[in-house]
Amino acid sequence: MIIVKGLQKRYGSIQAVDHVSLEIPTGHIFGLLGPNGAGKSTSISIMTGLIDADGGSVELDGLEPKSMKARYNIGLVPQSIALYEELTALDNLAFFASLYSLTPDVKSSRIDWALQFVGLQDRANDRVSEFSGGMKRRLNLAASLLHDPDYIFMDEPTAGVDPQSRNKLFDNVMELKELGKTIIYTTHYMEEAQKLCDRVGIIDHGKLLALGTVNELLHQYGGDTKLSISSEKGVKSFSSANVSEDLTNALRDIDKVYDISMNRPDLEAVFLNLTGRQLRD
Amino acid sequence: MKKMIALMLKDFKLLFKDKMAVFFTFIFPLIFALVFGSIFAGDGNGSRALRVAAVDQDQTEQSQQFITELSAADEFKVQLTDEVNAKTLVRKGKLVAYFILPQGFGEDYQSVFSGNAPDILVGIDPSRKAEAGYLEGSLMKLGIKRFENAFTNADALTEQLDRSIIEIEQSDEVPAEWKSLLGDYLPKMRALAQEQQDAGGSISFGGDTEANPMVPLKVTRQDELVQRSGPRNAYSITIPQGAIWAIMGCVIGFAVSLVQEKTLGTMNRLIVAPISRTQIVAGKALGCFVAQVIVVTLLFLVAYFILGVSFDISKLIIAVIASGICFVGLMMFFASLAKTERSVAGMTNAFLIMMGMIGGAMIPLFVMPGWMQAISDFSPVKWAILALEGAIWRNFSYGEMMTPVLILSAIGIVAFILGTRMVKLEDA
Ligand SMILES: Nc1ncnc2c1ncn2[C@@H]1O[C@H](COP(=O)(O)OP(=O)(O)OP(=O)(O)O)[C@@H](O)[C@H]1O
Ligand SMILES: [Mg+2]
Repeated sequence: MIIVKGLQKRYGSIQAVDHVSLEIPTGHIFGLLGPNGAGKSTSISIMTGLIDADGGSVELDGLEPKSMKARYNIGLVPQSIALYEELTALDNLAFFASLYSLTPDVKSSRIDWALQFVGLQDRANDRVSEFSGGMKRRLNLAASLLHDPDYIFMDEPTAGVDPQSRNKLFDNVMELKELGKTIIYTTHYMEEAQKLCDRVGIIDHGKLLALGTVNELLHQYGGDTKLSISSEKGVKSFSSANVSEDLTNALRDIDKVYDISMNRPDLEAVFLNLTGRQLRD
Repeated sequence: MKKMIALMLKDFKLLFKDKMAVFFTFIFPLIFALVFGSIFAGDGNGSRALRVAAVDQDQTEQSQQFITELSAADEFKVQLTDEVNAKTLVRKGKLVAYFILPQGFGEDYQSVFSGNAPDILVGIDPSRKAEAGYLEGSLMKLGIKRFENAFTNADALTEQLDRSIIEIEQSDEVPAEWKSLLGDYLPKMRALAQEQQDAGGSISFGGDTEANPMVPLKVTRQDELVQRSGPRNAYSITIPQGAIWAIMGCVIGFAVSLVQEKTLGTMNRLIVAPISRTQIVAGKALGCFVAQVIVVTLLFLVAYFILGVSFDISKLIIAVIASGICFVGLMMFFASLAKTERSVAGMTNAFLIMMGMIGGAMIPLFVMPGWMQAISDFSPVKWAILALEGAIWRNFSYGEMMTPVLILSAIGIVAFILGTRMVKLEDA
């Protein structure tokens, strides 16, 4: 269980995080959604103990993130690729693993597991500098899992990744969930949040604007579904809050339907309705 | 501690992957020491001609001829001067030795079979044993010439006599009385010449019997203490200098690696891991220190086993630890100032090269003009070199070692404290 209360962080005149409060139950995937500069990374940095907040508190199962005990349980997947490019994948993993007081046996089995997990076991002895963007991303994830942490903070783990690596990463996230991990996942890709997350928080200018399951948010902020029916009577477009009822009614006096298009509200629409602007510029 | 060592080993791995860093930390300092050492070394000893002064107090044909032969010999580069000047030149170390040919040299030189061996006075620093031996050997070789002259003369004489005896015996014109007289006289004279020649063949050199005319020269050695300002072995200078370059390489390498850790974002992984900030900083400091110790040790191994530089090992250890503290502190200080690898490398490089220049990493301290030596007091490089030299050729007592050691430690501790206070690890 992660409990965040009234988090604040200011950089000069910019309020990077503005009274953010959250609760994330164990085993959930929580998506933190927001455009560039919204305050996602800053929030994660505070939650992992990387930087100090100006105000508010974070508890990971009752522990402060900076406490040594909590640190053994935090896995941070940084937004930038945080690896030594000149070292091999194996050397990187071996080094990061050595920071966690693992016994040699555990250490080597965890390294094997992590390489396997992200599908890089064949490239273990290659230098990171020779890796593709997607491979680096996967290793960036692997390097955060060596100590088998319960809390995994992923800051835009799919940035700059081809669809294949992206799907592999999605699978990884779901596997981690199955292992009972609690995951905080930041992104500005709506599809990712919709696909992966149990609950989503929408953040902009440091403020948490909305919080809930994807369906809750869609229902609450997504607005109506846009329906468009093309028939012998021409094209009829309307919005609907109750699609099945409205569609049944509309089809009643139509003999021949050529086409029906339906535009369901998505998180993009949620964001648009919340902030009045597009999520991705 | 295990985590710190892991951090350090990782940095070593990274350092070795960086070919430029390896070059400037390991190879360049060695090349520097070897190249400059061999240039300086060629000046005083080695295979080149010995630079000597010759003073001719005899001013005879023989003394002048001897000096001409001396000048012609490959072993010497002779400068003709007076006694006072010759002594000054040798004492200042500009020349290796001087020869004085005293009055009466010519007379003794000429008289091969009688009288004394000619005197020659050699002034040389008593510590230059090798040169002194070489020099005397070369002198003797020249001295032998005076016998050769005499021997060829005796030979010629015998021949001449032989020929005369035969001629007289065969001649019809020489009156009988004359024949009988000369026939008696000439063989006696020839026997005398032969006697002289045989005696010459059995001369043994090196016997230092006083007044032995058969000794080619009587060399008297005069101790002429060189007022020494530098060490004997040129590598004693260039090895500490090389060590400074190696240490600088370590400082830059680790300052860059600390900043790089931030720009790469790997520092974030370190901070989030169960390792304290103190441990992270200490790991870097330890890495930098150990790297310095390794490179300096390698240089001194080469110095000892290959270049014949000797040193006091315990004082050397003290010097290396003190300069290690100093330069680890400076590394931390510079790493805390810069935000990018480029700026930290540039800044550290500029500072260290300047400190190196005024501190004696290029021009040895002892040949610096006075004003420059005064400025060099502000350079930590000077104190590091002084400490290293103290252990090599300056023969510092432990008390004397304390000055550079305390200065180095003080600089290091202050810089380290400032650096660790200012450094922002989390600042990506
Ligand atoms: N170290 C810093 N110094 C000054 N301002 C900062 C710093 N870190 C973040 N900010 C500012 O705080 C705000 C939030 O930044 P943050 O990195 O948390 O955004 P983000 O949501 O992660 O954005 P992105 O999607 O681009 O990663 C931005 O306006 C940013 O400029
Ligand atoms: Mg971010």
